Amino acid sequence: MSNQVTNAPSNSPVKTDQLFINLGPQHPSTHGVLRIGLTIEGEIIIKAVPDVGYLHRGTEKLAEVRGYHHCVVLSDRWDYVSAMPNNLVFCLAAEKLLGVKPPPRADALRVVMCETNRIASHLLFLGTYGIDLGAFTPFLYAFREREMILDLFEMLCGARLTYNYIRLGGVMVDVSPEWTARLKEFVEYFKPRLDEYDTLLTYNPIFMSRTKGVGLISAKEAVDWALSGPNLRGSGVNYDVRKHEPYCGYEQYDFDVPLGETGSCWDRYFCRAQEMRQSLRIIEQALAKLPEGPFMATGVAKIPKPAAGEAYAHVEASRGDLGIYLASDGGISPFRMHVRAPSFANLAILQEKLTGMKISDVIALLGSTDIVLGEVDR
Amino acid sequence: MIGYFSTIARNSKAVLQGHWITLKYMFKPSVTIHYPDEKLVPFERYRGALLFDAATCISCNLCVKACPSNCIALENAKNETGKKIAKVEWYSIDFGKCNFCRLCEEACPTKPKSVWHSLDYEVIFVKRDEMVRCWKKDFPFVGKYFDRLAQTFNDPQGQVNIHEVQPRRN
Amino acid sequence: MTAPTPDEKVAAPKPPTPKFVMPVPVLNRSNGRLIEDRFSTWPQRIFDSKWSLPSYRFGAAMLVAIAAALYATGWLVGELSTRGEQAYSLIFHYGASYGLSPLSVGVIWIALKVIAVLLVILVNGLWSIWWERKISAHIQSRVGPTFAGSPKGRNFHGWAQTPIDGLKLLLKEDITPAAADRWVHALAPAIVIAPCIIAFAPVSFGSQLAAANLDIGTLYIFAFAGISVIGVVMAGWASGNKYSLLGGLRAAAQIVSYELPRGFSIVPVLMFAGSLNLSVIADAQTGFWWGVVPKWFVFYPVVGQIAFAIFLIASVAETNRTPFDIPEAESELVSGFHTEYSGMKWSIFFLTEYAYVLLGSFLLATFFLGGGGAPLPYAPFLLVPSWLWMLAKALLMMFVFLWIRWTLPRLRADQLMDFTWKFLLPWCFANIALAGLYLAFWLKP
Repeated sequence: MSNQVTNAPSNSPVKTDQLFINLGPQHPSTHGVLRIGLTIEGEIIIKAVPDVGYLHRGTEKLAEVRGYHHCVVLSDRWDYVSAMPNNLVFCLAAEKLLGVKPPPRADALRVVMCETNRIASHLLFLGTYGIDLGAFTPFLYAFREREMILDLFEMLCGARLTYNYIRLGGVMVDVSPEWTARLKEFVEYFKPRLDEYDTLLTYNPIFMSRTKGVGLISAKEAVDWALSGPNLRGSGVNYDVRKHEPYCGYEQYDFDVPLGETGSCWDRYFCRAQEMRQSLRIIEQALAKLPEGPFMATGVAKIPKPAAGEAYAHVEASRGDLGIYLASDGGISPFRMHVRAPSFANLAILQEKLTGMKISDVIALLGSTDIVLGEVDR
Repeated sequence: MIGYFSTIARNSKAVLQGHWITLKYMFKPSVTIHYPDEKLVPFERYRGALLFDAATCISCNLCVKACPSNCIALENAKNETGKKIAKVEWYSIDFGKCNFCRLCEEACPTKPKSVWHSLDYEVIFVKRDEMVRCWKKDFPFVGKYFDRLAQTFNDPQGQVNIHEVQPRRN
Repeated sequence: MTAPTPDEKVAAPKPPTPKFVMPVPVLNRSNGRLIEDRFSTWPQRIFDSKWSLPSYRFGAAMLVAIAAALYATGWLVGELSTRGEQAYSLIFHYGASYGLSPLSVGVIWIALKVIAVLLVILVNGLWSIWWERKISAHIQSRVGPTFAGSPKGRNFHGWAQTPIDGLKLLLKEDITPAAADRWVHALAPAIVIAPCIIAFAPVSFGSQLAAANLDIGTLYIFAFAGISVIGVVMAGWASGNKYSLLGGLRAAAQIVSYELPRGFSIVPVLMFAGSLNLSVIADAQTGFWWGVVPKWFVFYPVVGQIAFAIFLIASVAETNRTPFDIPEAESELVSGFHTEYSGMKWSIFFLTEYAYVLLGSFLLATFFLGGGGAPLPYAPFLLVPSWLWMLAKALLMMFVFLWIRWTLPRLRADQLMDFTWKFLLPWCFANIALAGLYLAFWLKP
């Protein structure tokens, strides 16, 4: 961290020094390579400037020279912690361009995969947020459960992080009865674990005093700053893409959308913990009524060439509202692909919220926004 | 007044319950794999390092077009009269660019597939040259790499095989 | 892109090839045992069937064997205090036969005691760090370090990890930052550890096993433990950067504030025992109520439990452990007071923390758990010598320290100050008043 002392004039009668400190890009807390330049006066933060771009890989430009099937591989690597919704949103946009409709079994499988991945992603959030605040054990417990999910995905599609499973027109491969049996086994194992996490972390008095009342974001602010996902719902705004513009057959599943009350860090954390329970419900329902039939639509070309046009698709990814804008000019590559990454928008509120806070609350607020730099920088 | 004492009671109870959970897990066995004494065998569909069989390949170039990272290159073999035959002269995969997505294996039309993912996850490269694996006729499935200094094809040095027989897909 | 085809190239004279020798990976023991059934590694399979796992059975058997070995050792060695008198008279006569005056024999005796206390602290550094790593690992469903000190094929739970780490720290480069004050930087670790060693003098390791049987033992310990704060502030100052200084000051504020509840929570114990002498306090807890419940101060209704809890919390805060480890937390923004230290100087800070944990454990065992006394008045318990009971109780308390660290998250700096001044301290005073009521109406002094 570099410290430069600048004697800037301040409003108080006591003359104090302002210090410039870099938070990052190497973090002890695993959020990725994010740099926040903090100007501190004593204990209070005067100015906070998030500086992103350390993980920029040029996905949007790469997409312009790749075919549509190749771009699915690119999409895995945005929010690498939960890769299924990334695949899904790209395939939805491309299917709109191509005019392809996936069969119902593919839709149901897509839902199962996305919800399982949501659990995995929220487990990672839970663990790392605990570590940020000094609770070292829930991290290991969360990863122990996440390993089971990753084992399931490895059994299904062969990879543990970048799945490349949801393809244009359907999914890559069908699930076997053994796989659904293992998933049900995991679901049964996982339900008491959620209660354990609640005891260890959610309702722990020290954790609650660290996070309740910290980083309050009002509902109006949340909407103004284009937050999405649990960050938005933690402030009490009831907006979930799965309920408002259902995709992949989400309207047939019965689940609640957890809302927070005050928009504090605890509310956002609590939303995510409750979302895991709701995801379990969705998985059980989807597995119960998994329709028979093909898992891939017919008529998807090996090298798709959609007609000229544009399409926008958005899903409720684990981090928020992930959207893809695809414009085609009739060639084999998209003319333009833009990714509306939820973490990028969620990150913007930090520059306002961090000013006026104490240093010790920075980590709590930063952790509760749950950003993944792969999405922010693309 | 009552609220004060009930807050103390509630907080103490929460803290003690958390302690009970960690104590419970302390007496349970560990769930970790003690690598390298114990190694996991991946699932059948696992996307490990790629293998290639020059005998079954018909040099159709579908894998080259399917690869999103442009890491496969091949050249058609020619028979005595100089006409192209459905065999491959050489085939190379640059593992520095490969992202293990399986699009090449899915595109391969032969039965059994000529290029397929093994279960090998201990993929180690000792030199930069070693990352480009080449296959010619009669090379083993693992391939060899071309050492530019020595101008020879060498067996991979860093490769550690987990399974004796690498499974192939039909 | 092309791949090279050497068949068509002209054979040029080969340059001398540099021979590359692949370094032999030390831990790569051939292929290892392959785990074919992936789902056998799933937690619920392992948790449900734990007794069927050979490693679990082996571990449990080892624990029982170690406990039995300790008991047998203690029984064989016997009461060291009676031997202590014999040893002293032996040295006295031996020295007298060589013409040494009684004064020099006394000096030799004191030197032996000092070395013994030092050994306690150093061996504690070895033991408690290993134990912390094992306990934290098992709480987190993993095993700790396993490779150090293990011959081929059989690991002894990495027992040699700590000595090897200590050796590594000794060999590390000693960096003093350029902006730092050299002398202050060098002296700070010494000022932190010296009072800690001195404070161990009146600690009784069993009945009549204290290095110095001081009448003001308790006051002496708390006084010397407080001097370490100066070293902490010096360490923060000597780092040369403003945020280490602030971290050091914050640590000092935390330590000084938590000394108050630590001292005041002991007052009921002192009132019941009637003396500051640690041996007298331990002896005041002999005896049994109704023949089965030992008269330990922790069992005194309400007063004992409150005092125990407050002293435990204050000891955890004194040693800068989670949940009070703001000064040394790495994931917080402000760097701690010991960031600019490397090598042996840093390891002195580390050792001091564990030495204070040991001190806190021994004090807890002496004040509240009747240090040295057996918990039940039956034959197998009475056979175990008092130093073994003291050790067992101190280790149990150390386990509680570790347990708390790995369960709870961290308190924010202002929250922990609030906690001590607005919560712990008033309850200490209320406790003292309650103890006064006890003495007036129930206990006879």
